[in-house]
Amino acid sequence: MDLRDKLNILGDAAKYDVSCSSSGSKRNSPKGGMGCGHSSGICHTWSADGRCISLLKVLFSNACKYDCAYCVNRRSNDIPRATFTPKELINLTLEFYRRNYIEGLFLSSAVIGSPDNTMELLIKVAKELRLVHHFGGYIHLKAIPGASSRLLFEAGLYADRSSVNIEIPSDRQLQYLAPEKNFASIYRPMNFLAERKLEYKTDKSKYSPKFLPAGQSTQMIVGASGETDFQILTLSAGFYKQQQMKRVYFSGYVPINADKRLPVITTKPPLLREHRLYQADWLMRFYKFEYNEILDEKNPFLDPDLDPKVMWALRHPECFPVDLQTADYEMILRVPGIGVRSAQLIVSGRRYSKIRLEHLKKMGVVLKRAKYFIYDNNVPRELRKLYPEMIRPLLLTGKPKSDQLDLFDNMPAALPAPQPSLTQTS
Amino acid sequence: MSLAIHYDSTFDGFLSAVFEIYRQRLDVSGFVPERTYEAENETPSDLFAVPFHVETSEESANRLKRAIVNAASKDVLGLLETCFRSENAGIEMDILAYLRKLFAGLDPNYGKNPSSLEMIPLITIARSVRREMDNMLGMVRFNKAPDGMYVAEIEPKYDILEMIVGHFRGRYPNGTWAIIDVKRCFGVYYENYRTHFVTVPDPNYISAHAPPDEFTRMWKSYYDTMAIKERLNPRLLRRCLPVRYWKHLPERSLSGNFQGRSDSMQTLPSTVAQANALASMRLK
Repeated sequence: MDLRDKLNILGDAAKYDVSCSSSGSKRNSPKGGMGCGHSSGICHTWSADGRCISLLKVLFSNACKYDCAYCVNRRSNDIPRATFTPKELINLTLEFYRRNYIEGLFLSSAVIGSPDNTMELLIKVAKELRLVHHFGGYIHLKAIPGASSRLLFEAGLYADRSSVNIEIPSDRQLQYLAPEKNFASIYRPMNFLAERKLEYKTDKSKYSPKFLPAGQSTQMIVGASGETDFQILTLSAGFYKQQQMKRVYFSGYVPINADKRLPVITTKPPLLREHRLYQADWLMRFYKFEYNEILDEKNPFLDPDLDPKVMWALRHPECFPVDLQTADYEMILRVPGIGVRSAQLIVSGRRYSKIRLEHLKKMGVVLKRAKYFIYDNNVPRELRKLYPEMIRPLLLTGKPKSDQLDLFDNMPAALPAPQPSLTQTS
Repeated sequence: MSLAIHYDSTFDGFLSAVFEIYRQRLDVSGFVPERTYEAENETPSDLFAVPFHVETSEESANRLKRAIVNAASKDVLGLLETCFRSENAGIEMDILAYLRKLFAGLDPNYGKNPSSLEMIPLITIARSVRREMDNMLGMVRFNKAPDGMYVAEIEPKYDILEMIVGHFRGRYPNGTWAIIDVKRCFGVYYENYRTHFVTVPDPNYISAHAPPDEFTRMWKSYYDTMAIKERLNPRLLRRCLPVRYWKHLPERSLSGNFQGRSDSMQTLPSTVAQANALASMRLK
């Protein structure tokens, strides 16, 4: 098997992993080597499904000893298996990096032999890249569940980011779908890495070694087991707070295995649901929302028609309309249609002049949504109140629809469709 | 009588022109940059304006730069230069309108106000120039020439080559490489820890000497395997990776199953044309 076939098999096996960010790590090129870390990350290309490709995302091997129901590489699947040698993989990474195809390496692996054995192989690749080839690019190493803490620690010294995927958002479902795994075995490496990172953080010296400078991330599959959006958001909020995760990824379940424990194989991936979850995730990370503000026990699912920010605004008519001249930055951020950049521009600009609608239009504020939620001097006083039940249909259609003109909508068609006459005669 | 100011299309040239406008109290209707290539959207020439040529003078440009820094800030000067790189039609007049307000001195805080009606469009233009610059950091694709040099061709919408050079110098400090802006016929060449800006009369000559190799093909096939078939989303792809960049990205422009080197060079333009035609059909 030549290198190209191996790359295809092992790239194909890794593609369901969503994480591909290269951000959070700033590093100059090491002496005598090449490669640097760009703190905001760089996307190098986008694949035909519109997902960004920034790292060379491959498995070291796909010959797995586990049999997880949702995974394409499970033991019982009949697929071609391949394993890189460390040298091949290192050479490939360096050549791709040299041509600016990639930002670094994302290395994961199926479990071959034992978790420790697998983890050692991954570390070997990262260590050789860093120490022998003086590679300064981004390295994302997967922490293999069940690997010993000594190895996890060593991985953190060479990698920029590490991740353990939780995959299924509830413990019971996880044990049902993946008999070899449970929540405890996934939380253990996460907590270990988070604690070590905190220890290193207190050491502020420029020369002290860095431990996972870009932190941790994790991923969950959406739509494989029957969990609610509220459960998913609660879990991810916990990850951001307790494990200090940099990112939590959601992956709409793509049916790859026929298994009676999973949705049928013809199910379409829940792309819209995934999109709404990411929007909610953004609200938590950049818009200072709490998870229980976005959803609660009574409404456990996100609205497919409207984004979560609009939904929050409609549930809280008492907060609107917002006066842009005087409101807090946090409140301006909560106005639908105003993003982080526009909010900053408004706050820094209103010291010098009044912010009017024409300013907002030029800033790129989506007035189509924002206009219902901001205070406008031209509106009479008694109308300055938000009526969610009136605004919801307006936001859905985009423009007000007048009922008066639709004279012919409710009339019966001139010629009724011919009725099947067979039933009448018999 | 209104004048059309001709200048040498550099930022310094533009500033010298502004300096002369103030010094001689000229009545300006537009600017005509003397470019050797065609910009994305060329300014339509004003038939009734009288052409007026301004020589670039470093001294007057520097004086004006100092004045801008004093009246506003260093950031504003940088922002104006970034806007100028957009080469948009009429961008000179927008900058001039801002400078006129700035130097009029009616509002002492004008230089600090980021939300004045003249400043907001400049901020949005600068934002899109910076966005292309950031995207270009990932979209430069080097090919290896037989002599060990790495060559890349780019064709950005805005004039951003000078803005991205620093990044690549930090990334490949020990290599020998060149990045060529095919549209503007100039490039940067890095060797022995030094960068040189060079004009490239015939860009195709250089790329023909660094054809795609085995790693390019591996990259292409890796790229193809990464797409999840159930999630294909051509609209999202085109939004993230606009079609105008595809020509210089091997993963989008190489055909999947070519063998030899010679025919690869011939198939390259036709596949791009096909892809572009397909994309435009879908857009309709």
